[in-house]
Amino acid sequence: MSQVKAKENFKSIPPKRRSVNEKSFLQRLWKQIDLQLMVWVGVLLIFVFSYIPMYGVITGFMDYSIFTGARIFENPWVGFKHFESFFNAPQFDTIMRNTLVISLLKFLIGFPAPIILALMLNEVRRRFFKRTIQTITYLPYFMSWVIVGSMVMSLLSTDNGSINIFLQTLGIIDEPINFLSERNYFWGILVTTNVWKDIGFNSIIYLAAIAGVNPSLYEAAEMDGASKFKQMYLITIPTIMPIIIIFMILQMGSLLNAGFEDILILAQNPSLRPVSDVIDTYVYRIGILNQRYDYGVAVGLFKAVVSIILLTSANYLARRTGNSLW
Amino acid sequence: MKKRKMLLLMVTAVLIVATALSGCSKSTNDPNSGSTKTSPTPGTTTNAEEGESSDIWEFGSSELSFSAFQLYNWQDFPATMDDNPFWKYLKENKKLNIKSVLGSSNNLQLMATMMANDNLPDLIHGDRNHPDFLKLYKEGKLVALDDYMEKYPNLKKWLSSEAADLLRSPDGKLYQFPNYYTTIPNGAAGYVVNKKIYKELGSPSLETMDDLYAYLVKVKEKYGNEIVPFEPDQAANANGIGLIYTGHKENSYYRSLSSGTIAVVDDANNKLSSLYTDPAFRESQKFVSKLYREKLISQDMFTAVDRAGIQERVLTGRVAIYAASSPLTWAMQGDTELSAKDPDAGYFVTWPIHKAGLDKNKIFTGSWDKLGWNVNVITTAAEEPEKIFAWLDWMTGPEGMATQYFGPEGGNWNGFDENDRPIFTDTYNKAEVAKLETDNVPVIIVGNTTYIDPIKMDYEMAKPEAERSWLLTNQEAVTWRTTNDATALATNLTPQAGTDLADIDVNVREIFAQALSASATAKSDADVDKILDQAQEDSLAVGYGELLEWRTEQWLKNKELLGE
Repeated sequence: MSQVKAKENFKSIPPKRRSVNEKSFLQRLWKQIDLQLMVWVGVLLIFVFSYIPMYGVITGFMDYSIFTGARIFENPWVGFKHFESFFNAPQFDTIMRNTLVISLLKFLIGFPAPIILALMLNEVRRRFFKRTIQTITYLPYFMSWVIVGSMVMSLLSTDNGSINIFLQTLGIIDEPINFLSERNYFWGILVTTNVWKDIGFNSIIYLAAIAGVNPSLYEAAEMDGASKFKQMYLITIPTIMPIIIIFMILQMGSLLNAGFEDILILAQNPSLRPVSDVIDTYVYRIGILNQRYDYGVAVGLFKAVVSIILLTSANYLARRTGNSLW
Repeated sequence: MKKRKMLLLMVTAVLIVATALSGCSKSTNDPNSGSTKTSPTPGTTTNAEEGESSDIWEFGSSELSFSAFQLYNWQDFPATMDDNPFWKYLKENKKLNIKSVLGSSNNLQLMATMMANDNLPDLIHGDRNHPDFLKLYKEGKLVALDDYMEKYPNLKKWLSSEAADLLRSPDGKLYQFPNYYTTIPNGAAGYVVNKKIYKELGSPSLETMDDLYAYLVKVKEKYGNEIVPFEPDQAANANGIGLIYTGHKENSYYRSLSSGTIAVVDDANNKLSSLYTDPAFRESQKFVSKLYREKLISQDMFTAVDRAGIQERVLTGRVAIYAASSPLTWAMQGDTELSAKDPDAGYFVTWPIHKAGLDKNKIFTGSWDKLGWNVNVITTAAEEPEKIFAWLDWMTGPEGMATQYFGPEGGNWNGFDENDRPIFTDTYNKAEVAKLETDNVPVIIVGNTTYIDPIKMDYEMAKPEAERSWLLTNQEAVTWRTTNDATALATNLTPQAGTDLADIDVNVREIFAQALSASATAKSDADVDKILDQAQEDSLAVGYGELLEWRTEQWLKNKELLGE
């Protein structure tokens, strides 16, 4: 009722009076021309380098011949043929299952791990010890997967691999275990390696957020007799929650990125494919190695669409907590 | 305030101009610009200079310049001609200027880019079954060589006409100049045995699969984890374990396990049939999985794709038996290093191991191919295709061959005898010749095996036994004798990319790669059967039957051309 009334009141204001304090659109634009120009450079850059190349995705709906190069419209349209053949591919079920399982495992274990590390480091009082731990945990992030992969392989090797030697010395096993050929171990090895590689670097952002918590909150809590654990639970975590949620939403967008280099390098044994083959390794093998570019594009596009849906729904859910990305 | 605004405006203006320029710069790579020439269709490109140059161009008589590219990710041509002894000689003495197109381990991607940009190199060297060659042919980007072959003497003389027919593309023309083509077996596959371990275990008989098993058990008992009892090379490509398969059936083909074939010859019905239903394949996979279960075979065989580990173990003598489609190079190095420290150590090549009851003379560890494996093609981008052909033809003839393998005339050889063989001089330097051959490997793109192998062999056999080369002795005694001719099974069996058959082929290969590894490392014999049954079922579901029918057709065509 009041809304209607307000509307009526607004209408009663003469048009001339309404624009007394407002300048025309062009005037406003000119006033902030420096800001506008800066923004449009960014928009133009994104358009040129991120949107124009996107026209390539239409090859997913064509029978693409590489000899046509950039003249892609010379190729015949085939509609959803490549999508259909992906859905009907014998590997489809395996690939989808692995993609989801591996990315969920990486999410469930890899996402909280750096937060826990940050909380633990936050409690460390000795500066030197804290810095040392941080440096050591950052380091693996800067190594390429090729190096990490060969380190893991030589650690797990049956021929003089340290882990096998260690387990044998302790008498836990009699014969070396071929870790990288056993399907049961693969997901564990993959997720562990990923956590080990990224945990230090990913914890930086949470450490920074924790550093921003008002120290007086802790002092007050201490006065009230709250234990360290209670302080962490009641002050630190709620304060950094917005950051955690934003990173969680971003992570959801790349949920289908189950991995590529790590799997390609660690799952060399073809008999691991039933547990290791994910969308990206499949696209690489079939699309790039077998040069079926149109098919590869179609599968990649399918993945992108699913990712957008996941990102949007995660954001929708997060909006209810008041911490959404947009 | 005003000043600051002006500065900001200027900075942003510069940024905008830079952006616009970088955006525009893309157009310089646009394949549309300047590429208005139409691609000739296959068959119309044969001889660009027809009529105007009916005379033979003699290689070296005038300048020749062209670009060359290797279609292998692991190999490039030398960056400059000075980097290689043979090319350096050609540059300094034959007025040749080759510009290498370097892929730096991204050759296959670079090839795709060059095809998309219509910016092809003049000469491409690579595996003759590489799908890119089929694509280039289909698109009319290759120069037919038939007319040149008639004009120039060497290829016509040395490449048998049936082999040439086999190389012909569907339109009946020859577009590929083969490498290491031959009319005599040049197989290299075999089992290499560690001499010292063999002696220490009492030199037992190593003829049958049962002997092999008993021997490996003894190795494991005596040396534990120090020594890998059986080291198969590149198991994921069926390389080392393929030898075990060929030992389970008389006259079987190593080529059957190649991912480009995946079929066995069914002589009774004159067709190619499913590998998974072949009892010999099942039996050999059971044997391999038994070795695997009992830790008698390298446990990393499918995991460690990197061959450095295998090489290291062979060179340091940490394997008892090493099996591979081409084991001799590393085994020779290992033999040299090990025997230098201990005269009793080293390696020897054993006669193919076979299943008890089979005729050992009908077991062929490997296959050879009349066409070799690599080819050279000249693309329509070449300005003077005939001259490039003339150069290839010169290289495949006596002068070219002798220069590639023994250095320039006047050094290790001088002139030719009545059989066109180089006459070796008194100053023949064995070490220099060995080094030359190794150094020239990346540029020996036409290797006339029929011509060069007997020359090398005769020279070696003329020497006292103790001085003969380890490699040639073992080749002569074993590996050349124990490989069979699989030319018909190795040619034109790859479906053209983009067709339904090619999709089937991809899926069948995938299933095979998994089944091979899973069955070789299975927990029991029953599991092996189960895995192979499943693979058979899955393969049939994706169209294996259709692929086998097409392959049979192609194979029969090949046999007809070869007069088999």
